[in-house]
Amino acid sequence: MQNATVIDGWPRRATPTTIPFSAIVVLSVIAAAAFASWLPLQVSIVTLFLFAGPHNWFELRYFLMRLPVRFGRSRNFFLTAFAGLGVLTLTYVALPFLYNAALWSEEAWYWVVASWNTALLVWLASLVWLRSRQKPRANWKWTIPVALALCSLNWLGPDLFSLAIVYVHPLIALWFLDRHIRRTRPEWLRAYRRCLWLVPLVLAAMIWQLSLATPLADNNGLFWRITQHSGAEVLPQISSHMLVSVHLFLEMLHYGVWIVALPLIGRIGSVRFWELRTVPIARHPKGFPRVVAAMLVFAVVVVIGLWFGFSVDYATTRDVYFTIAIAHVLAEAPFLLRML
Amino acid sequence: MKLLLIASCLVLLTAFSTNADVPKPKTPDKPKLILHTGLEIVPDAKLYEAKLQISQSDFNNLRAALDGGAGSSPVVGSIAFSAPRTIVAGLLMFMAVSVAGVLIARSSSVGRAQKTVGAVLVVAVLLGAAAIITRGNAGPPGSWRWRNLPQALAEGKSTVGGVDVEIVPDDQMNGRTMRLIIPLKKQNSPGEE
Repeated sequence: MQNATVIDGWPRRATPTTIPFSAIVVLSVIAAAAFASWLPLQVSIVTLFLFAGPHNWFELRYFLMRLPVRFGRSRNFFLTAFAGLGVLTLTYVALPFLYNAALWSEEAWYWVVASWNTALLVWLASLVWLRSRQKPRANWKWTIPVALALCSLNWLGPDLFSLAIVYVHPLIALWFLDRHIRRTRPEWLRAYRRCLWLVPLVLAAMIWQLSLATPLADNNGLFWRITQHSGAEVLPQISSHMLVSVHLFLEMLHYGVWIVALPLIGRIGSVRFWELRTVPIARHPKGFPRVVAAMLVFAVVVVIGLWFGFSVDYATTRDVYFTIAIAHVLAEAPFLLRML
Repeated sequence: MKLLLIASCLVLLTAFSTNADVPKPKTPDKPKLILHTGLEIVPDAKLYEAKLQISQSDFNNLRAALDGGAGSSPVVGSIAFSAPRTIVAGLLMFMAVSVAGVLIARSSSVGRAQKTVGAVLVVAVLLGAAAIITRGNAGPPGSWRWRNLPQALAEGKSTVGGVDVEIVPDDQMNGRTMRLIIPLKKQNSPGEE
């Protein structure tokens, strides 16, 4: 049933809760930008330590909540999604081992990275095509030339394309939140979308202020890793302070959406995230409560293991995390497509 | 008449062969861009000698760029210096533009003018995206930050802007060792057109 306050998907007027919601969003964006610009390296270390693992746990739970009990008409879509997810993750994790095992030239390495990125784009285009078959009214054919154009740009600069994924991925969370609000709190949608305009403005201000900042000191292994992950090696002309700050700002928004916004906004039942019966495929008579429980408990163990790893050897754990974390980056694509 | 034509042809051929032996004129070495960083110009009435201060990290970057034999920025280098990758990229871009064109042409819900606008937009967006990536550090022109330098110097204030560090051959420096070139645009005085 359509919400009474909504006409054609848009609310007629704001509810009393819209203003506090907007204020919280605006304050969060500004606070994230301030912290990321002020002490980028220190805040990056603390943020990753505290929120990287938990945000993955919440993502897993969110995806389980959106998984149907039976695939039905979506069987091919989910089979393609999970097959691609597995193959792309395994090959991505294998890349560092290949790099260390084989003495490849820089150009050969570019070919490997460009090939992986192309496989990713082909997988995404396949998912879009499969999804569009389930939505006869939707015209998603334009995604084919876009995917081809992205493939082309990827082959011109594979390392730049990979870096673009690092920067674009955090923004996908904002898209998830948009779809989630549209379903659960449509009266907030207009305010949320207006607040989103703040993100490019804040980004422009950060770039303007930090573009000439002195590069960050990367004289130890950890600081060097943080600047490299933000693209300091790929974009040496740009201040590493700006790169780390912008990336950290986007990451903070990403973590905020997954850990705070998505669990809290919506139905009351979804707030009690620790309860197994809030997950439909565990609650359903034909569901899999034990499998879901095992997955969530295992994920909790991994999160605790991640905290332990960060405490013992932060730099190595960070490397391992960002390599394996490609799985959650990839997993977002099919579930986002399911929500479109 | 025939003799005249043959003689003319001989003269022309001789001229071509003579020109072919002329060595290619030596083009002067161009300055090499090795680093883009920030620069602050600070007037200080207490000093008796100008100072050039370089941060340790910038100095390290400068040294690394020189050790690496930099001739162009790594961003541009990774894009342009691979013919096979450029061919693959070109083919994919050709397919992208072709498919986009076919889709726009087959679309029945839009008018002819809108199709044309759509096609132009697709091409413009693709070219723009490529240009942004190639430029790497696209943004407002560097001269914008230097526009108030004379006024700031007169008032004793500092000015911050971007600077490209270039290595210039000795013979092009006219006996000097360092030169700071500021992109100042001529500003019309009040009343002047």
